[in-house]
Amino acid sequence: MKTREWLGIALLGLLIFASLSSAAGAQPFAFPSMDGWTLAGPPQVFVPDTLYDYINGGSDLYLKYDFEELTVVEYRKGAMSVNAEVYRHRTPDHAFGIYSQERVPSAEFLPIGAQGYYEKTVCNFIQSGYYVKLSGENTGADDRAVLLSFVRRISETLPGPTALPAALSAFPTEGKKANAEKFIARDFLGYGFLHSGFTADFERSGRRYQLFLIVGNDQADARAMLQQYLRQIKHDASAVEGPYQVTDPYHGAMALFWKGRHIWGTIGLADADLRATYLKYFEGLPMR
Amino acid sequence: MEKTARIGRRDFLKSTATSLGGFAYLSASLTRPPDAPEKFEGTRVLGRTGVRLPIVSMGVMNTDNPQLVRAALDAGYVFLDTAQGYQRGTNEAMLGEILKDRPRNSFVIATKASLPKDQATGGYGPDATEEAYTKKIDTSLRGLRLDYVDIYHHHGTWTREATLHEPILSALQKAKKAGKIRAIGVSTHRNEPAVIAAAVESKVYDVVLTAYNFRQQHAADVQKAIAGAAGAGLGVVGMKSMGGNVRGAYASGQIDARACIKWVLQDPNVHTVICGFTTFDQMTLDMSILKDLTLSAAEREQLRRASMEAGLYCQGCGTCAGQCAQALPIPDLMRAHMYLYGYRNLVAAQDLVLSLALPRDVCGDCGACAAACTNGWNLRDRVRDIVRLRDVPTSFVA
Repeated sequence: MKTREWLGIALLGLLIFASLSSAAGAQPFAFPSMDGWTLAGPPQVFVPDTLYDYINGGSDLYLKYDFEELTVVEYRKGAMSVNAEVYRHRTPDHAFGIYSQERVPSAEFLPIGAQGYYEKTVCNFIQSGYYVKLSGENTGADDRAVLLSFVRRISETLPGPTALPAALSAFPTEGKKANAEKFIARDFLGYGFLHSGFTADFERSGRRYQLFLIVGNDQADARAMLQQYLRQIKHDASAVEGPYQVTDPYHGAMALFWKGRHIWGTIGLADADLRATYLKYFEGLPMR
Repeated sequence: MEKTARIGRRDFLKSTATSLGGFAYLSASLTRPPDAPEKFEGTRVLGRTGVRLPIVSMGVMNTDNPQLVRAALDAGYVFLDTAQGYQRGTNEAMLGEILKDRPRNSFVIATKASLPKDQATGGYGPDATEEAYTKKIDTSLRGLRLDYVDIYHHHGTWTREATLHEPILSALQKAKKAGKIRAIGVSTHRNEPAVIAAAVESKVYDVVLTAYNFRQQHAADVQKAIAGAAGAGLGVVGMKSMGGNVRGAYASGQIDARACIKWVLQDPNVHTVICGFTTFDQMTLDMSILKDLTLSAAEREQLRRASMEAGLYCQGCGTCAGQCAQALPIPDLMRAHMYLYGYRNLVAAQDLVLSLALPRDVCGDCGACAAACTNGWNLRDRVRDIVRLRDVPTSFVA
């Protein structure tokens, strides 16, 4: 066997391993038929290199959330039309992340997929690694019913699971704004070495702030991130598990708590007493 | 000590603020000669708008971190670029929250919107009315909490006809007359030369925002179109300087963003470049370009290598379609090749290959391949390479 062929087999094996190791399943998607509706044309497919052809500069953010493929069709029925976009991302967390960047907390939220919402002429939801966006045109008074019929059918077609990221359930409920949690896939807090994080918005006694959770790959990963962060903000301490009160040059006073592979923290919370309260809360969490 | 620095931060902030003070007058009168000699000093004048901007600006599309935007403005960035569509309007809303606390003459902001287009033709339908576009402008102003925006871009056109769509031009002109916008722009990510030429032809647009980077196969055409626009007095803003290499996102071969930005700014007809940084460190590094535009030998080498890597990515031009004697779906096969070798997604690559119902004997006895690739790829080799995925058991892959 020639060297080149051996290299080819080795590459293929490497790729298979990488694919098997991936948390995401690249499930093929086929749009369902809808009674009385016809497709305006064949599905359009966009990949990372061509996404900007469809959503222009908005594509950059999708790429940061490990976008893999977009399939688009337009359904028509008389003067009505429904544009259906199915974005596939590498993991459910990434799909939630881009969804969380675009959802509006004031929308009508729906138990579709992991979560969905309806606004006039728009219905979006996430399920597994998929982010589905529907928009209606000339759907008139039936707009909500029409869009909901589509999302139900599309949801049936997509693979599960249908749950929001488990990390979100660990945020305290008191003062937490509903449907405002986010997953930031890269450069969390504006630092490249903090690879990702979840945030939730809070408001208590007129004070608005955020709590965050960084989930490292393991304890060593979390330690490395915290150590680098402390060095970055010139906080003179070694990374050991436990609480921290620090001052970030860009974010101001912050409370941090490191335990296992989790780093919790506050953003924009000037009240030192409340920061201390949260440190106790973080300490009491069962996560390891 | 940075011996190459031409101006300090304080100096350029001062010169920028001075220019901003005259922006309203200059943009209204359009009296500045567009061909005035320019000496690099970290700022350039945005065509006939008369506004002097730092040559690096902030594209806000990639971040929802308000502290990063605040830090950028504090560090000397002046020009912010957003769009109504970014994060479904929440990007504009975030900026509105930040900018309400800043003097209006301390920043320049551009936003943009489009109306639904036919994705196949790029053209507008009967619903793309002046009224609909005016609503877009008003929505942006509400989101940004501003009385006016400095530049409002007709977003993402790729045909002459769409660029010149009269109802949208009329909406923009009326908004400008009403003081809602100071300058009219158009943004384009593909077929840029035609769009830029149409922008000049219109005599309505003041600014073009264009994709422009070292990876574009038609970069020379873009450069020529930009020269024409600048010569006609339009301001030129560059974007997509990394050519799809989102910082740290998916490209296997990373490239220093500054090399890409500098490459664009070697063209003196580009007045500023939108930088989509997402970290404080990147923000500082991009700002350092103000002090030295020179491409180092290492940066030139990075660009050369990245240009070669671009060969992994099908541009999707469709030129090869229909040229194969076996009528193979070559664009689809090249997409599968890209999945496998570009994105290392074996599952997606195999799914696609299996869905194509290819003949068993691909390429068969074809002596010479009739299909030609604009990338210069050897299509026959790539086709033979990727169809081998048919022989990998799906149970092993899925």
